[in-house]
Amino acid sequence: MNIIMCIMVFMPIVGAFLSYMIGRKNKTGRDLFVCDLTIVEFVCSLLLVFSAGSSEKILFVIPEVCGMGLQFTVDGFRAVYAAIAAFMWMMTTLLSKEYFGHYRNRNRYYLFLLVTLGATEAIFLSADLYTTFIFFEIMSLASYVWVAQDEKVASLRAAATYLAVAVIGGLVMLMGLFLLYHQAGTLQIDLLHEACQGKNVYVAAVCLLVGFGAKAGAFPLHIWLPKAHPVAPAPASALLSGILTKTGIFGVLVISCQILMYDELWGAVILLLGVVTMFLGALLAVFSIDFKRTLACSSVSQIGFILVGVGMQGLLAEHNALAIRGTLLHMVNHSVFKLVLFMLAGVIYMNLHKLDLNEIRGFGYKKPLLAAIYLMGALGIGGIPMFSGYVSKTLLHESIVEYIHGMEAGEFISAFFSAGDMKLIEVIFLVSGGLTLAYMCKLFVAVFLEKNNDAVVQKSYEERKNYMTKCSAFALTVSAVLIPVMGILPYATMNRIADMGQSFMGHVHMEHEVHYFTWTNLKGSVISILIGAVVYFVVVRGFMMEKQADGTTKYVNRWPEKLDLEEVLYRPLLLKIVPTVGSFVAGLFDVFTDGLVVFFRKTIYRDSPRVTELEEGNEMTHALGTFLNSLEAIGNCFIWKENPRKMDFEHWFALKYSAFKENVSFIGRSLSYGLILFCLGLCATLIYLLIYTVV
Amino acid sequence: MNQYWIIVAILLPIIGGAFIPVLPFARKSQMFVYIEAFVLLTSGIVWALIMGGTTEVFHVVHFVHELSISFKIDGMTMVFAGLISILWPVATLYAFEYMEHEKNEKGFFMFYSMTYGVTLGIAFASDILSMYFFYELLTLVTVPLVMHTLKREAVLASRKYLYYSLGGAAFALMGIVFVIVYGTTSEFVFGGILDMVKIGEHAPLLLWIYLLAFMGFGVKAAIWPLSSWLPQAGVAPTPVTALLHAVAVVNAGAFAIIRLTYYSFGVDFLQGTWVQYVVMGFAIFTIVYGCSRAVKETHIKRRLAYSTVSNLSYIIFGVTLMTPLGLVGALTHFVFHGFMKICSFMCAGAFMHQTGKSYVYEMDGMGKRMPVVFGCFAVSAMGLMGVPGMAGFISKWNLATAAVESGNTLAYVGIAGLLLSALLTAIYMMSVVIRAFFPKKEFNPETIKNVTDPTWKMCLPLIFCAVSTVLLGLFSAPLVDLFTKVSIGLY
Repeated sequence: MNIIMCIMVFMPIVGAFLSYMIGRKNKTGRDLFVCDLTIVEFVCSLLLVFSAGSSEKILFVIPEVCGMGLQFTVDGFRAVYAAIAAFMWMMTTLLSKEYFGHYRNRNRYYLFLLVTLGATEAIFLSADLYTTFIFFEIMSLASYVWVAQDEKVASLRAAATYLAVAVIGGLVMLMGLFLLYHQAGTLQIDLLHEACQGKNVYVAAVCLLVGFGAKAGAFPLHIWLPKAHPVAPAPASALLSGILTKTGIFGVLVISCQILMYDELWGAVILLLGVVTMFLGALLAVFSIDFKRTLACSSVSQIGFILVGVGMQGLLAEHNALAIRGTLLHMVNHSVFKLVLFMLAGVIYMNLHKLDLNEIRGFGYKKPLLAAIYLMGALGIGGIPMFSGYVSKTLLHESIVEYIHGMEAGEFISAFFSAGDMKLIEVIFLVSGGLTLAYMCKLFVAVFLEKNNDAVVQKSYEERKNYMTKCSAFALTVSAVLIPVMGILPYATMNRIADMGQSFMGHVHMEHEVHYFTWTNLKGSVISILIGAVVYFVVVRGFMMEKQADGTTKYVNRWPEKLDLEEVLYRPLLLKIVPTVGSFVAGLFDVFTDGLVVFFRKTIYRDSPRVTELEEGNEMTHALGTFLNSLEAIGNCFIWKENPRKMDFEHWFALKYSAFKENVSFIGRSLSYGLILFCLGLCATLIYLLIYTVV
Repeated sequence: MNQYWIIVAILLPIIGGAFIPVLPFARKSQMFVYIEAFVLLTSGIVWALIMGGTTEVFHVVHFVHELSISFKIDGMTMVFAGLISILWPVATLYAFEYMEHEKNEKGFFMFYSMTYGVTLGIAFASDILSMYFFYELLTLVTVPLVMHTLKREAVLASRKYLYYSLGGAAFALMGIVFVIVYGTTSEFVFGGILDMVKIGEHAPLLLWIYLLAFMGFGVKAAIWPLSSWLPQAGVAPTPVTALLHAVAVVNAGAFAIIRLTYYSFGVDFLQGTWVQYVVMGFAIFTIVYGCSRAVKETHIKRRLAYSTVSNLSYIIFGVTLMTPLGLVGALTHFVFHGFMKICSFMCAGAFMHQTGKSYVYEMDGMGKRMPVVFGCFAVSAMGLMGVPGMAGFISKWNLATAAVESGNTLAYVGIAGLLLSALLTAIYMMSVVIRAFFPKKEFNPETIKNVTDPTWKMCLPLIFCAVSTVLLGLFSAPLVDLFTKVSIGLY
């Protein structure tokens, strides 16, 4: 077991450098090597999954490395997520071979791809938050290179945003770790719950939440997702959205299910955060007219759904089985959906090198395989019955309903929400579900049903039959088929995953089995579908499509450009205000020292001559002299008209001044002579005293 | 090991350096071999000495009564002497290639080598007066190095350096006099040497004196408001800025402050007094101040110099926590920062040497032309930022945990300062790395197609320091163990 974990973490990191070296000699060899490596990784993770349930607690410690040592462990949840990560890496690597066919810098991409794989596995297998943090930072920095991969202006800008969010999040998280370590005395995840009992760890928890939430894409730090995903290569976007955001959720789960287990206040905070993220992400997605940007905003929204589940866990306390299972399953589902959808975006992009809906419109027309794959992903994420998303969304919905019923029956008493508030949250939940359907529908209609405005382009699209290789098609199909399979057989598949993983989030007592396909449960889905249809026809077709002169329609971006949190708030704040204020203040303090030096110099020494020196006297005598001279001139004009006075006051003052200066310099010299003698005397006294006292 | 070897270690580079201008070398390479040989020999002796463990005090010259020049080896000596004896041969190797195009090499290497001996003197000094003696010598022997190019700004910079250092030393002397007068002995003893009976009612006065001496030694440790000499001294040749202004001289300042705080006044006397808050406040302010200045600075060496200002105050912050853990954090950063900063300075120097440019905005696309140099720079940048797995992370972790453990309210502000500074460090270091590896689109690679990595003499030191940064980050336990022993007075 230890060996498997060790292999899973360190093999990719070592392999990364090997692949770089191989790649300098032989490109095909490198591709093969990377593929094999990810497959081995997946096999290892399967071994982990099958042995995780049986054995007792495992702790694998590498002492003293990186300061405090690294600790790994495995349980059901960790095994499941390690396996999903490995699966996603395997699938995207299969696609990468074709996708990156004509890219430059592929060696660099694979190097950082594998480093990130190792780091991500390490995060999911970590047994203490110290280890989590170390690999979290490595993952963030290594994945920066993915976003910047094609080195265009937009990519570099997005990558900078990504890096900034990662670095700032990481630092705040580190602060949280310091506080937590001080209060709890341990960072080991299993022990945190007991160690934090009766201590006020809210500050530490909030710091950690900022760090993990930023990676997960929770509001208001979701800004990197809509920027980074459209510019990153599609296989990388799939991983960023499908699995890297889940490392953030992993951290949020550690806080919510260990540090602050069953804490109502915490649950309420996470729930509100989740609701905002869920709705805002969906809204952004509806308004986006870029294929990948829509998917990215959709990720934000789905993360919101997951956070709602996490929040409900806290509110429901001991009765949170539904919320736990819903959270877990929605995480798993979302990973698979985004894998499928982003890989599909990759297929579109590698054919057209475009992602704008108006330009890719009609690409999928008469491409049944592609359409089927898209539909599986889209229906899954939309929560349509018989697809896996339905199961997890139903569980989440049920958990909210359960809480409302409990409140009405007086079982739950909440200090933060009334039953009415919770009903509002339920409505927002259903509306967000509807929005999900609307934006997925928008993409489907645009890409697969409609034809391009330009008939020539449409013709070229339809002629394109070999739009992906067998290998890519295999990767996409296998991933996509998982969704209906899991949706149709939830008891055999999803329940098992939930059974395996749920112990990570606390002790679960299922009060009753959930029957997914009953009318009560289907009702939520139907409501969402209806809302989705209304939104699609009113907003997308009515508001976002513009008739053009020739009778065709066009998608337009109706989202106000100014309404961008990053441009309005973060960038000016971090790039303009903070550095300017900082350097202004620092500069001020700099001047302070130098000014002091100059001040002392001016009081002790005579200043060196200025460039624009007066012929004689100083500024004061000059000013006084000219003033009196002009008075004299005025007097000469009016009073002493007959015998004008001819005295030059400026010269007179200058003469007086030089006489005065001479005296002063005499005094100054003798004074400084006296001072230096005094100084010497003082030194002598000091040395005498020193020797005297020592004697 | 015989204690006389301490004198050999100190005098060997001084005498060896003094002979450089008079020895008749047929070729430059002969001179290089000669210099490297005696520098390596010195380092060998130093390592043999510190491996031999601690020693008793060894008096060389008696002045009156207890005032003497004397040496010993204790934990702090091991840390400081060990650090510089590793870095000196490395930096000397680097200097050979860097100085090839500069005039007056012999004079440069003479003072460069002599500085080694003087710095060792500071490390080995066993009482505050001996340390002060070598401390003043260090100022004098490094002034010609700053002035080396004899350009106007070099002369101005060295004048400023001289004023600041001598001024600081005057304050420090005042402190020394009081320590000797009010102490039981003048030697360094862990826990302090103040005689409480003699002090009696003068305790408030002594706190003021501590502040004066702290600021006096703080000149070399570049504490605000006495830090502005350091960025200006960046006009010196890079081997000087890299080794002296990032490690030897500035660490001597930090070393002196540690000696003053832990071995002379003693933390028991200082802890919890107003003066602790004042000096800690200065340290925290300098941490943020240095970073803020570095972000806006575009000259690469000055930017790194401001970064040094900030990082030195990390060490001072650890010292001013006045707890054993704080000292561990300080010593960790003392050593690790040396490796990271010398690496980034040497990379900047290699860039300047190979291209003749010196501004950050001229670095576009250089990473592809000089992969070794900028690869090492990236490693050191990540180290300074405190990326996990690198040396800087360990030291920042140690410092911050020490700050939390100390329970001092101001220390929490300090942690916030540390984190803010880590963010700013990320900005000013990563902006260089990103520029070098991901140039803007309008950048034309043709303009720098003649630029290449320097030869092995320059690359080897870079790689050595970069690898050390990673290895220290991964396997820091034995060193931290040593620091812990030092911090509880075991060594």
